[in-house]
Amino acid sequence: MVEEWRLLDTGIHDAFYNMALDEAIVIARSKKLVPNTLRFFRWEPSAVSIGYFQGMEEEVDIEACKKIGVDYVRRRTGGGAVYHERDGELTYSIAINEDHLLISRDFQKTYENLCSWLVRGLRLLGVPAEFKPINDIVVEGKKISGNAQTRGMNVVHQHGTILREVNPKVMFSVLKVPSEKIRDKMIQSAEERVTSINKFLKREVSFEELKESLTKGFEETFNIKLVPGKTTAFEEETAAKLKEEKYSTREWNFKR
Amino acid sequence: MLLMRDNFYLLILLELWCNVEKGERMGRAEYKVEGGKLVKVQVTTEGNRIRKVKITGDFFLYPEEFLEELEEALVGSRLDESSLTKLIEDAVEKRKATFLGVSPKDFARCIVMAGESNG
Repeated sequence: MVEEWRLLDTGIHDAFYNMALDEAIVIARSKKLVPNTLRFFRWEPSAVSIGYFQGMEEEVDIEACKKIGVDYVRRRTGGGAVYHERDGELTYSIAINEDHLLISRDFQKTYENLCSWLVRGLRLLGVPAEFKPINDIVVEGKKISGNAQTRGMNVVHQHGTILREVNPKVMFSVLKVPSEKIRDKMIQSAEERVTSINKFLKREVSFEELKESLTKGFEETFNIKLVPGKTTAFEEETAAKLKEEKYSTREWNFKR
Repeated sequence: MLLMRDNFYLLILLELWCNVEKGERMGRAEYKVEGGKLVKVQVTTEGNRIRKVKITGDFFLYPEEFLEELEEALVGSRLDESSLTKLIEDAVEKRKATFLGVSPKDFARCIVMAGESNG
């Protein structure tokens, strides 16, 4: 019998709910209330997420965010700051039991395993993606996806971003740069180091097409059937609580 | 109320001033690990000892709470790369923590760099 996972497409939500739901799914998984899960989601308002160990004020230009209506949130995973543009990127998350064959005791190896379906999904679209340690996926040396992972409660949680479109100019208006003088240089260097699906394929790839390819890539890579499902009442209640008490609080977001 | 708040600020100022008097210094440094991640350190030292340290960056460390424990464990330590590396390695061993994109030695190096910088 082929292994089955739940596939969630939770649509477009704010940053605090998005991060709260990710943790809620991990908790539900750890209590064995839900199966292993792959989730797709997007962000509105557009938002910056920072890694667990980053300083909010070190990384994010809060005033600029307020001015253009961009939210900011701290993730439960490490890694760097990401600008989640509403129409520019697709985010996914995986909650998988730690005892699963895809999970190695070696964290680097686990990243590679849990990124392999993205590589395949992108290749199905015609994008020659490759995994680049530690946690990136690149196309011809340019970054197209960043991923972050943690584990706890017997569950491995990985989430990441896939760039459908990229706009370094907006990205660097909300992320801090070491000095104004080098802002243009950073934008230029980001243009050279980062790419997107639309930019590479020179055509507009819809979110639907992207999700379809990635879903197929996942099923083929792991020989796992993705069964479309819904979040449970437990997950929604937990997410609402985590949003209220954790992810939308100043205490959490500015703790470093 | 206003007066109380003024006194409060005065106290803070006084404390800051006293701290400077006691010979506390604050320094910062950034260190990009080759093929790895970026570490940023803000450290307050008194003489050759760490009074307070904050480590930030885009690295991975499991479990995440270990960083806060480590920052506390570093208070009182000498600003010396090899002894700091040893201290961090021992704490990692004890907690069974895992670093990715950065090593205990990188943390130690960046802390020393921050301690030796001029603010």
